Amino acid sequence: MTQTDTQLEELRELVAEVLELEPEELEDNGDFIDDYEADSLRAIEILARIDKQYKVEIPQAELPELRTLKAVNDALIRHSVKKG
Amino acid sequence: MTEHHDIRVLLPQRYPLLLVDRVLELVPGESIVTIKAVTGTEPCFEGIPDGAPADRYDYPKSLMIESFGQSAALLWLDGREPVEDDDSTLMFIGARDYRFTGAARPGDVLRHEVRLESVLADTAFATGRTWVGDRLIATVTTLTATRRPVRPAA
Repeated sequence: MTQTDTQLEELRELVAEVLELEPEELEDNGDFIDDYEADSLRAIEILARIDKQYKVEIPQAELPELRTLKAVNDALIRHSVKKG
Repeated sequence: MTEHHDIRVLLPQRYPLLLVDRVLELVPGESIVTIKAVTGTEPCFEGIPDGAPADRYDYPKSLMIESFGQSAALLWLDGREPVEDDDSTLMFIGARDYRFTGAARPGDVLRHEVRLESVLADTAFATGRTWVGDRLIATVTTLTATRRPVRPAA
């Protein structure tokens, strides 16, 4: 398992906990709102958890796009790189 | 130390739902320690018949969470300039992993230790513990509160 895969699985656990799902229920491209009945507050909580766990701030302006695990993971990678 | 009359300026709740008596310590933007005394004359104990078992006088968990939440609100509000014509209100959204490890009864003093973890998009995330003396009676991993307009935008 690569470092990227490991991070994705860590993130799956984090997001699944916020959405009150089992990690295996959360698919990479499952839509938080349409498929898992999440709301905007859940998305904010995901960002707060990422900030706490990875010390990476994803701008709130990106919230509307962060509707899948893959999108969140891509944003985390993108902003980790910016952080250096 | 913040006394009760100051708390009444900051929080909108009133009797019987103003559930913070005093602020013992405050590190702005970081942490707060508050106390709330539990008495036998609380409305929640009204109507309990004589001879009821001792645990009928356990302070309700719902009120303990409310008291903790009001403590978190005091921490969040500290240092904010009052906004003119502010029609927003603080709302308790929920708590994740709230565990009760003991009970409080009349004569006990709840001591809430709250830490503000982050504020994002007008939503606050706090964590903390509640003690009675040296007895840990509750822990919360995440308490979430938000600020929303009372009247939705037209």
